[in-house]
Amino acid sequence: MTILNESGIPDVLPPLHAVSGLARRLQDVLVVVVGTQAEAHLVQCLPAAPSPNLPPSGHEPHVTFAVLDPSAPPPQGLLASRIGESASGLRGTELVLLVAGRSVEALGVDAAFEVRLAARKLDLPAEVVNLDAPHEVPGTLSTDLEDGVVAALVNLCPKRRTSDLVQTASPAKRGRLFGGLLGRGREALEPGDARPVVLLGGALSPGAAQGLAAELTRAGVEVAGAVPADKTSELPPFGEGTVVAVMDPNLTAAAAAAERRGATVIKTLMPIGVDGTARFVQDVAEEAGYRTSEVVRARSAWEDLGALRNRIRGKRVFFAGDTGFEIPLARFLVDAGAVVLEVGAPRLDRRFLSAELQALGPDVDVVVSPDYRGQANRIDEARPDVVICSPGLHLPLVARGHLCRSPQDFLRAGLYGYAGARRILDLLASTLKRAETLDSLNL
Amino acid sequence: MRLARGVYEGPQSYGILRTATSIGGVHALLRALPGETYFPTLYGTHERTGTLAPVTLSPLRERAEDSMAPGNLVRDLSGVLRRHPRAETIVLVRSEASLLSGEKIQIDPLPERDARNPNLVTFPWESPSIKETEAAELTLEDLIRAHTQDARERSPYPTVNLFGPPIFGPGAAAEYAEAERLLDLIGVEVNARVPLGADTRDLGRLTRAWANLLLYREIGESATLYLQDGYGIPRVTTPMIGAAGTGAALRAIGELCHLDPKSVQRTIWAELARTAKLPWYARLEPPETFKNRKVAIFGDFTYPLGLGYALAREVGLDVITCGTYLTHLERDFLFHAHTFTEGAFVEDDPEAVAARIEAAKPDLIIGTRLEEGVADALEVPFLPLCPPTANRPFVERPLVGYAGSSVLADALDNVLRWKKPQPTGETGIQWSDEALQEVAGVPLFLRGRARRLAEDHARSLGSGEVTREIFLESRH
Repeated sequence: MTILNESGIPDVLPPLHAVSGLARRLQDVLVVVVGTQAEAHLVQCLPAAPSPNLPPSGHEPHVTFAVLDPSAPPPQGLLASRIGESASGLRGTELVLLVAGRSVEALGVDAAFEVRLAARKLDLPAEVVNLDAPHEVPGTLSTDLEDGVVAALVNLCPKRRTSDLVQTASPAKRGRLFGGLLGRGREALEPGDARPVVLLGGALSPGAAQGLAAELTRAGVEVAGAVPADKTSELPPFGEGTVVAVMDPNLTAAAAAAERRGATVIKTLMPIGVDGTARFVQDVAEEAGYRTSEVVRARSAWEDLGALRNRIRGKRVFFAGDTGFEIPLARFLVDAGAVVLEVGAPRLDRRFLSAELQALGPDVDVVVSPDYRGQANRIDEARPDVVICSPGLHLPLVARGHLCRSPQDFLRAGLYGYAGARRILDLLASTLKRAETLDSLNL
Repeated sequence: MRLARGVYEGPQSYGILRTATSIGGVHALLRALPGETYFPTLYGTHERTGTLAPVTLSPLRERAEDSMAPGNLVRDLSGVLRRHPRAETIVLVRSEASLLSGEKIQIDPLPERDARNPNLVTFPWESPSIKETEAAELTLEDLIRAHTQDARERSPYPTVNLFGPPIFGPGAAAEYAEAERLLDLIGVEVNARVPLGADTRDLGRLTRAWANLLLYREIGESATLYLQDGYGIPRVTTPMIGAAGTGAALRAIGELCHLDPKSVQRTIWAELARTAKLPWYARLEPPETFKNRKVAIFGDFTYPLGLGYALAREVGLDVITCGTYLTHLERDFLFHAHTFTEGAFVEDDPEAVAARIEAAKPDLIIGTRLEEGVADALEVPFLPLCPPTANRPFVERPLVGYAGSSVLADALDNVLRWKKPQPTGETGIQWSDEALQEVAGVPLFLRGRARRLAEDHARSLGSGEVTREIFLESRH
């Protein structure tokens, strides 16, 4: 594996596009996007689930725009009152998230103060999500808003009481039901060794956390909850001793927030692909105080995927880079027999993704901050079988005769766990199959 | 500050980019945060031409001079010059975050323009308070000013410049094509299509034309005034929407180009017999179809005015209200709209627009994508004919000209036959008075959805009536 920094301008969908999708997922949350005309227009123009051929989705009732007039910034407290009015007009609101970027700061609006005031007035939790928060490593991913929102939710999770540490039930007791049926070489532990596991991620893949929790339960690990949860009231307790299993490779800010709250963030592979899921389950179990082996399960998962692997074996894939999910996806596809020509990484946090980078095959080139025009030229030269790229590059590349898929398609299909591994290969195989069918037409 | 569920217009940088990227040979250097650059994505998905947007980002970041990565404006500009040697004009566009950050932009003028050096055009009027349409209009004027130094000799035969919508306009290319077809029929050649379809050389040749025809006044207003005042080129501003508007515009062009009025009239009659179906529709449909049918129209400037006039005069519908979101064109809009409606208004808050439309109790709403929810809540048919619209059809249809009048006739024919669905005895759900009071408190654009959810909830409970409790439960 080679890592090259191209210092270019990658084509990345603006992170704010995800706001409608997040509001739809977090049904009891009111999202207030504060900014100028630009922010409101961006959300309105870009669909929540971008596709090169779909019209923008309709208005999401849980999203409100606070459009600031640059010539007359609002007096202190006005934003808080407006948020209050908006939240009280929308029934079932349990949490307010204020999404604010650099323009808000430049106009002299103190988002943190306004949100505290609004929270006090409404008697509801409220948090600021900084759209332009600096990351340790420079660069922007299209999934940065998900990261910010999950980090805000981590901050809102109730504090875990110290007494809980003592009262944690033994894994032998908890794992009894599934243990008898599905035990795979787990070793019994001493009571009191187990630590609560919280899953972090899957914000835009509903049901993803539940699927992964079921996978962990099969291995005997009980999952205390997931962030984001379906409802704000279901956010799991957080604190020292909590084991945090990060599902998404883009959640650097959320993982840092979890660490700040005293939790242990496991450094392992993302639960994407067969080996990724196996390592994830095994390492989470180990950190939580269980011992399990996923070898048998992983082997049978690979065997189940045999036919699909044959369909993508030797296919050449190019990841232009947009969501940050490209590295685990590439790792899995290489394992499954595909040839990955390049993985674009608009931002690459090597420390956070160290396990992933180690597991990436030796023949894969990772290009940090790729230049999208350079990438388009490299794609033209290499003629890959399929390009996974952002909506901005999609149409230009299709026009040049390339077969493209959006990384968001993989996210929506649900790429976690063993079942997700099948869905990834299925999606790719069906894409290639359809292209073959269309190519065979005599137009 | 205001809370809004949406906006009709984008920011000024978006307006500048729409005009600048409509013109061939122009490359934009956009100074913005990486999270603000949605224009290239929209360009790719809207235009479907397969070309990359002629826009390069110069990311706004701290301590850009510390590394060689993009972010230093001077270096980024030389990068654009190096990588896009065919660009004839570079425009520097600043996003809202860049303007608000207060950064000082200092760029040395480019070397004297010759065959290899492009023009650099900056917009000193840029401000976060300006909105999309006004910025697009000012950009067009500035780009034309930058390219028309000397008056060219008038073309030996009659020619006109078409000033139409920029890219992303609904059916923009089709609007130009229809206008050009009609001008060709009366014997006038199009000197340039501006801004969409023009290149920088065309901008230099604009002064050859005998007249300017304004298809889309929002964008072409100040540019055509500049050409009128500076070079004496007269302009025609009648919206070419509906058969009457199109005929008036063609006659005016004929007069300015010294054509034989009888010949122009013969062409108009031939088109009325062949292409224009709106007068046919108005005559064929029984008067009862239009009697007491009230229409609310809302949009930009040209479309609501053109449609309002055509529907009121040519079709005989009652235009109960007609509005625009372009607050900077308030006086002009009200002056024209009062010729066909008593309910002219100017408003850029979608909530207030919804309230206006609701109060007017229309039977048909013609508007932008933001009015769709209002029509849904009021359970009246809706025609998304005014920008911004959400649909991006593969086949573009014009709304101007005689072909456009036929498109309008088809659209009207479809919706005016529409009858409000009456609940049948079996599936109809009654509403209690208390529940109806609660519904009235829901914002208008959400009301249709809230009503449907409550009825579904009542059905799932096996109740034939939506009570206040059922309604409240359905909203959780």
